[in-house]
Amino acid sequence: MSELFEKIATGVIEGNLDEVPGLVQSALDDGLDPTKILENGLVVGMNEVGKRFKLGSMFVPEVLRSARTMHAGQELLRPLLAEAGADLGGKILLGTVQGDLHDIGKNLVGMMCEGAGFEVIDLGFNLEPEKFTEAIKEHQPTIIGMSALLTTTMRAMGHTIKAIEEAGLRDKIKVMVGGAPVDADFAERIGADGYGHNAASGAELAKKLAGMS
Amino acid sequence: MIIACKVLQSALEEMLSERLRKRAQFMDYGLHRVPARLNQTLQSAIDAIEIPGRIVLGYGLCGNGLDGITAGRHTLIIPKVDDCIALLLGSRHSYLREMEKAPGTYYLTKGWLESGSDPLKEYREYTEQYGAEEAAWIMDQQYRNYERLVFIAHSQTDLDTYRPQALEVARYCRQWGMRYEEVLGSDRYIRRLAAISERPENADDEFIVIPPGSTNHQELFWGCSITASEESKKEMGSC
Repeated sequence: MSELFEKIATGVIEGNLDEVPGLVQSALDDGLDPTKILENGLVVGMNEVGKRFKLGSMFVPEVLRSARTMHAGQELLRPLLAEAGADLGGKILLGTVQGDLHDIGKNLVGMMCEGAGFEVIDLGFNLEPEKFTEAIKEHQPTIIGMSALLTTTMRAMGHTIKAIEEAGLRDKIKVMVGGAPVDADFAERIGADGYGHNAASGAELAKKLAGMS
Repeated sequence: MIIACKVLQSALEEMLSERLRKRAQFMDYGLHRVPARLNQTLQSAIDAIEIPGRIVLGYGLCGNGLDGITAGRHTLIIPKVDDCIALLLGSRHSYLREMEKAPGTYYLTKGWLESGSDPLKEYREYTEQYGAEEAAWIMDQQYRNYERLVFIAHSQTDLDTYRPQALEVARYCRQWGMRYEEVLGSDRYIRRLAAISERPENADDEFIVIPPGSTNHQELFWGCSITASEESKKEMGSC
């Protein structure tokens, strides 16, 4: 059956929207475990997409096409995963920080986290630190994830963490950060709990932070 | 010695002495799209210069593409800016002011228009590759949150010359409600970059100096502590 998983992964990498849902359906028809189809097929593909994007052998349009393909496959699995009582990691709040309107990466992380069993609340983009603190009070998430694409705006992640601390909420949540200019060193400096270098690793990190893996 | 992005080539060449103009290296426009590649390409260009000396880099932090660049046997001098937009507007301050006006701004410049880096060209490329419908979807995903298109030039002549091209892009971008503005930037910073290439000892706090054996770090470009609470209450642009 690993051949079918491989085909699904390749379909995601190629952004083959016409084929992947059919492949996922045949995997289900073959009686394969939905969690395995997700983890060994779709997620493996998206992980590779993330790696290639970082290296510059895939670009934004291709990543978008892959994401849409992954999403179509995931939609078929979603009701079955819920039925099977897949791990529920709690709530994640996601948002792009103040001054930044780029949301492709953040949306991708949201999709991957949903796949991983989280309830994802997307706060949007260009979010002032207060928007995060208010949302933490309202939704009481396990994790918040912040994203930025620009070096001019990534520093707002530090400001947001500071605002969370000042609101007395820091010890109630885990903070993960990501985005093109962000790295592990930066994440540590601003006091985040972790850094995801692509969407798939962001979801892995979320699982770890929520104690699911 | 100067190594700069091609986007600054025409401006810099007018300002550099003949001696430096001959030795200036201009690197491909699109390298910043993959910061790791910009980093490698620039590092190779620096390392290839055998005689130890002062190298001025016509770059900013550029998506952290310049984070981790090592000076080796040279001294590196880098404008203290996030990217070329600050250089083209004339100062870091002008850039932050523009960002405060509208964070979702796409900047057009003469160099970028010439190199073919604008949303309309991008759409045409995607259309060739993926067909019109798919291309429109990809563009929408990328640009739907932008609210402003700003054309920066350094002279009224440049504004007038490139306006038809800029307006064509503006018409295309109207679908996302992006408004079009023109900004007469200042060549002050690029002029300083050229002057410092001639006399590197004049580099001041608008430039970062990396001595031999040292490494450039992103923190050097930050205007303040990123975790300072007072700053979080101000506009994020203040850093």
